[in-house]
Amino acid sequence: MTSLSLHNIKKAFGKTEVIRGVDLEIDDGEFVVFVGPSGCGKSTLLRMISGLEDVTSGDLFIGGRRVNEVQPAKRGVAMVFQSYALYPHLNVRDNMGFGLKVRGLKAAEIAARVGEAAETLQLGPLLDRFPRELSGGQRQRVAIGRAIVGNPDVFLFDEPLSNLDAELRVHMRAEIAALHKRLANTMVYVTHDQIEAMTLADKIVVLRAGQIEQVGTPRDLYNNPANVFVAQFIGSPKMNILPGAFVAERLSAAGIGVPDGKVVGMRPEHLHVAGEGDAVLNGRVVLAEYTGAGSLLHVDVGEGETILVTHEGQNEPAFGEAIALGIRPENVHILTPA
Amino acid sequence: MTTKQWRTLNRVLWTVSLLIAAVPFVFPFLWMLSSGFKSASEIFGQPSLIPTVWHWENFVEVFQYQPFARQYFNSVYIALSVTGLTLIIASLAGYALARLRFAGAGLLMLFLVSALMVPEEVTIVPNFFLIRWMGLTDTHLPLILLPVFGPHGVMATFLMRQYFVALPKELEEAGRMDGLTTLGVWWKIALPMSRPALAAVAIITFLFSWNLFLEPLVFLSSLELFTLPLALSNFTDPYGAPLWHLQLAATSLAVLPILAVYIIAQRQIVESFAMSGVKG
Repeated sequence: MTSLSLHNIKKAFGKTEVIRGVDLEIDDGEFVVFVGPSGCGKSTLLRMISGLEDVTSGDLFIGGRRVNEVQPAKRGVAMVFQSYALYPHLNVRDNMGFGLKVRGLKAAEIAARVGEAAETLQLGPLLDRFPRELSGGQRQRVAIGRAIVGNPDVFLFDEPLSNLDAELRVHMRAEIAALHKRLANTMVYVTHDQIEAMTLADKIVVLRAGQIEQVGTPRDLYNNPANVFVAQFIGSPKMNILPGAFVAERLSAAGIGVPDGKVVGMRPEHLHVAGEGDAVLNGRVVLAEYTGAGSLLHVDVGEGETILVTHEGQNEPAFGEAIALGIRPENVHILTPA
Repeated sequence: MTTKQWRTLNRVLWTVSLLIAAVPFVFPFLWMLSSGFKSASEIFGQPSLIPTVWHWENFVEVFQYQPFARQYFNSVYIALSVTGLTLIIASLAGYALARLRFAGAGLLMLFLVSALMVPEEVTIVPNFFLIRWMGLTDTHLPLILLPVFGPHGVMATFLMRQYFVALPKELEEAGRMDGLTTLGVWWKIALPMSRPALAAVAIITFLFSWNLFLEPLVFLSSLELFTLPLALSNFTDPYGAPLWHLQLAATSLAVLPILAVYIIAQRQIVESFAMSGVKG
């Protein structure tokens, strides 16, 4: 098991700087997820750790060793690619054993390691098949198996589930979580899906425009977002953000002060239809989206502000109905605007 | 009429139409084969696809008239050398142009492609002076070097480059993660995945070399060094008139390697297409 340290890491393609000074510590055996919108640099950062991209400046340490100039294969990392990147001309057995063969391991040891990984991932019956003869989920397992056989110190996953359908994605997510528990290796995982990030991560790194916005456990990020960007990126449906002045008066009555220049965040699932007594907002339902377990209400609260409210149960307010909304004081977030 | 009957009729009509359309292409070939077995007088007599008397001895005489076996061997080894060298050099150069980042790569490609626009007849004179200066006239080396490094080699490089550009980069990155060098990635990943392109380049190059006439005519003077196109034009009587029965028998023998190359390479192309696709 190995720790990772990134010290003021920067990456530029020509004059375009895509990673703008990242400092990060990843502990032994930790499952760290990089999340962020498209183009935020999360995949580039992962590729820099893997060695597929050079580090423009800064220092990258894997297991205490500076690896800026070390070849990808000599960093002790293995990568699972978004497209699986299985060699189409090799069968599953040869795909999994390819890296070991390149490293010059003996055939018997390659066979033993491939067999062991195949057993772990239930790939035994598929060993003689070619990638084209496998389903998406099976290919994904082979890609993971190829990473496992090398006994890497660090696993790197680059959006590995994004090509799978919703059902299989949930299944594979659970398999990856189980794999981490079993192997206890350090894992770095890139995704733009915040549900994947929340369910898998020990630690989430939220990136925006090549910089870290916040690092923390999923619970930390959900309960104490550092700014509006993180607050809206973590959680689904995303957090409602209202101008401070708009709700300051109502919140002060509930004992919550809103300093000047701040905004107020309220998660849709924390708002509830309330009596006039504990209401902080009043509004009118402009849309009710039925989701099965409940409804997602779009509520016009005046001054051009529409907020989302998660309403549980089957008796949602009707279109056009005036409602009062309440929230527990501990669920109100006072945030710095992005 | 049921749907099944319609389909059968449709298939029959298509087959018949295609067979008719194939006649202009197949007939000269059959005529060549048939005339190779005829006597010189019969070729100009009553036209018939089946010879009245089968002159098997034409195929023996072909080898007695001039050193045809030696000339056949010349063509085979030159075409194989040109094909092998072109495949190696064009795939290496194509890979470099497709994947290596170096200053002026685009300009170099433009420069190379522009060379394709110069007809070989224009360059044959300077090439002749160059080859004579190198002391390589009346040897096979110009017939190997010019196709490999000339416009045909550039065309092969261009084809390979276009194919490599379209290969998924992640597969090559996976190779690097597995410990391959750039050369290793080319050899163990890019090349096995480029079998359709390699097969196409192999066919085109083999045909090009096999049919090369101008260069052998300019650079060779010894009969033993002749290649097949020159040798075929050499089956003449003392007055320079063609000996058709020998020419056509020899030509029948000359097409055999081309058929073999095509059949082998075609299988490669079909198999490789079946293998394509990174994800489903």
